[in-house]
Amino acid sequence: MPKVADFETALTPTWCPGCGNHAMWRALKETLEELELPWTDFAMVWGIGCHGNGADFLRCQGFHGLHGRALPLATGIALSNPDLKVIVEMGDGDGYGIGGNHFIHSVRRNIDMTAIFHNNQIYGLTTGQASPTSDQFMKTPSTPGGVIEEPVNPVGVAVAQGATFVARGFAGDIPHLKELYRAAIQHEGFAVVDVFQPCVTWNKINTFKWFRDRVYKLEELEGYDPTDRTMAFETSMKTFHELTCAPDECKVPIGVFYREEGMATYQDDLPQLTAPLHKLADSPRDISKTLEAYAG
Amino acid sequence: MPEVSDRRGRELRVKIGGEAGFGIKAAGQTLARVFLEAGLDIADLTEYPSLIRGGHNDYFLRVSQNPIFSHVEDVDVLIALNRETVDLHLDELVEGGAVIFDPKEVSPAGWLPSGKIRPVPVPLEEFARQAGGAIMRNTVALGAVLALVHFPLEGLAESLRVQFAHKAPEVAESNIIAAALGYHYVSKNVPDFWLKPRGIKNAPKQLLIDGNEAIGLGALAAGVGFYAAYPMTPASSILHFMAKHERDHGVVIKHTEDELAAMNMAVGAAFTGTRAMCATSGGGFALMNEAFGMAGVSESAVVVGVITRPGPATGMPTWTEQSDLRYVIHAAQGEFPRVVLAPGDQAESFELTWKAFNLADQLQTPVVILGDSYLSDNRRSVPVFDLDAVTVDRGKLVTEGDVAQHPEALGENGEYLRYKVTDDGVSLRAVPGVKGALQLGNSYEHDEYGYGQPGESAETRIAQNEKRMHKLDLARTLVPGPNYFGVAPADADIAVLCWGSTVGPIREAAMWLAEEGVPVAIMQIVTMWPFPAMEVADFIGDAKRTMIVEGNFTGQLQGLVREQCLLDVDHSLHRYDGRQFTPERIVAGIKEVLADA
Repeated sequence: MPKVADFETALTPTWCPGCGNHAMWRALKETLEELELPWTDFAMVWGIGCHGNGADFLRCQGFHGLHGRALPLATGIALSNPDLKVIVEMGDGDGYGIGGNHFIHSVRRNIDMTAIFHNNQIYGLTTGQASPTSDQFMKTPSTPGGVIEEPVNPVGVAVAQGATFVARGFAGDIPHLKELYRAAIQHEGFAVVDVFQPCVTWNKINTFKWFRDRVYKLEELEGYDPTDRTMAFETSMKTFHELTCAPDECKVPIGVFYREEGMATYQDDLPQLTAPLHKLADSPRDISKTLEAYAG
Repeated sequence: MPEVSDRRGRELRVKIGGEAGFGIKAAGQTLARVFLEAGLDIADLTEYPSLIRGGHNDYFLRVSQNPIFSHVEDVDVLIALNRETVDLHLDELVEGGAVIFDPKEVSPAGWLPSGKIRPVPVPLEEFARQAGGAIMRNTVALGAVLALVHFPLEGLAESLRVQFAHKAPEVAESNIIAAALGYHYVSKNVPDFWLKPRGIKNAPKQLLIDGNEAIGLGALAAGVGFYAAYPMTPASSILHFMAKHERDHGVVIKHTEDELAAMNMAVGAAFTGTRAMCATSGGGFALMNEAFGMAGVSESAVVVGVITRPGPATGMPTWTEQSDLRYVIHAAQGEFPRVVLAPGDQAESFELTWKAFNLADQLQTPVVILGDSYLSDNRRSVPVFDLDAVTVDRGKLVTEGDVAQHPEALGENGEYLRYKVTDDGVSLRAVPGVKGALQLGNSYEHDEYGYGQPGESAETRIAQNEKRMHKLDLARTLVPGPNYFGVAPADADIAVLCWGSTVGPIREAAMWLAEEGVPVAIMQIVTMWPFPAMEVADFIGDAKRTMIVEGNFTGQLQGLVREQCLLDVDHSLHRYDGRQFTPERIVAGIKEVLADA
């Protein structure tokens, strides 16, 4: 089974020093090693953004797709080869902005795959514009007067749309993040992991310190029931925060918001998907019976 | 009113008109099956607006003992289920043609009596009610038309059972009664009609099929494993066809949230070695463009159906046009090899679709089936598809074992190189799950492994870009060549160049002109890209006089000929009103040109 070092390519990561992507990369490599996943058994898919450059740094079977389109690309893989576990990495602009439609529909399909969102609340690769999860009033080159709209609440959207696994991690806590990764990959169904991953270059507000001062773990919250969808939704609403809020005024929950095991996945309802579909093209298909309906 | 042509009596042309929701198309197809069973050649044409109820629908059926290639303008029998049908279509009726109508529904004011029209009043609604419901008016009319032309009723009962196979058996039986009432009424009360088509005994079996069904069958025969689409007229019926056969043929069908998802999913499925396809119309293809380009740069074997309609934007959803040729040939940013195949009829739709899957695998690049509404929506009788001719060629695909068994695909350090530069530009394609086949499919420019970062070096860019573009040279040796009909260009009064579904009306027109002593040569380009410049240049060079017939305003094929062959044609005939060329129009266009010559 491949070890952490085997998952590394000869290319050196190009993320900024201190970028949260380094921590997420490490958490993923270590989780893959601990899960003892052979290379042949899983496929990675990336969208476009700083996170996506990680496609060059993780040695595996993978596809670096288009901006916003990682989920449908991954869906095509998952729905054509049931032997592959599919793990998707996306950014916040990538997954919640331009790819937001696919996010909603992938959730409601409950496709068996893991979707990890690198959420730094900013566009990094395109040099610092506001993202769909940027705080309201945040000033960026594309919003010099401040962001007007409310941020997307990805946890709330996923919970409301019937997700069967929704978690949020923080790149500043790798052991906790690994627990979430492991649970998400082992979950049978669509697993959403939104990860706060501070951008050290462009987002001077939501920094590691900002999060360290505010995050708390749902696992440690007394009375929190991750099988209660309403509680999960209400808790997701607490994530909204304004730039001016003090650490004691707004807290940011991380951990598993919601999980529901035993639900049928999309693949479960495809009885024809028992083996890789490439086998169907080993030879021409016999369609003589189908043709009869058109014959005189 | 058209003059009665000398084709009078050799064929039957029926038009059924009424309000949308009357079951016009279903009734028409039921009638078509009767003649198919009798061994006759068939072409139909459905015209309908983009709505579910109300508005005018009409169905045209042409039946002949001789080979036919398209619909025509002339109508011998008009079934008017409402007055609007008379108002809209009476001028299509040949002299002495019949109009079947219900006097309670269609008033004679303004068009009857007429010495040139044979009125056939039938109490359609009354008979329908007797049989069980007014909805069966159209079925009564089918019985009436068969009686009028002295064709046996028996075949209609069988065809009605096919039409209502998915409903309770009583439905078919009521319709059979309705048809019989119409039949016997006309047999008893209407004097002899001059048209009496006869079936052909022991005629070879034919299929009655539309272009989209043929595309679906071609994909199934090729072993398609994954099909994704978002509904868009006129491509939706491929999705319906595939979904209907999902379980019996083990295909995964996904109706996606949008066309972007459909194309991306197809690329994902192709990544696992699955034969993957998606289809849409021009607007949906616009949404697919970025992922279409990704299929090119990531060397993904996908088949894309683009079934066009008049644009731009929403355009005219249910009508036909050939205005997306340039668009499909150039779609997506950047340069990459692609193959674009344009079937001319239903038989070719089947054949080119299964061949498209082979080409996609052999070339590891996207292949487009470029159809149009005329082809996709309408049925023709074609010889039963030759299933023994279907082959599967997956090119350099490896789906099992260890990639180490393929040393030619490995780099110096023994690592698998998905995008290894080769002489023909095609690399060994070992799919995920094959031992050692670590790889990175990439939408970025990339190195031989697939990594994006080294792809930015000038040397790597040149090597990978050239590798991909060289596949076009291989493509030229694999793609289907043009079809030629009629006489050789040197022997023709006029040589006509065309592509796609217009070849049907053009062949029909050429046949009529040949009867009048005007020899015509036809070249139908089948592979639109890579463009067969040599063949086109030869055809034009040999001809005395040339003409392009195409369904668009700007002359898109003509532009390609100028660009690719540095030649031009002498004349062009265009149509861009949403309707297909009729043979009558083409004959007139050619005669006009020859008269001026």
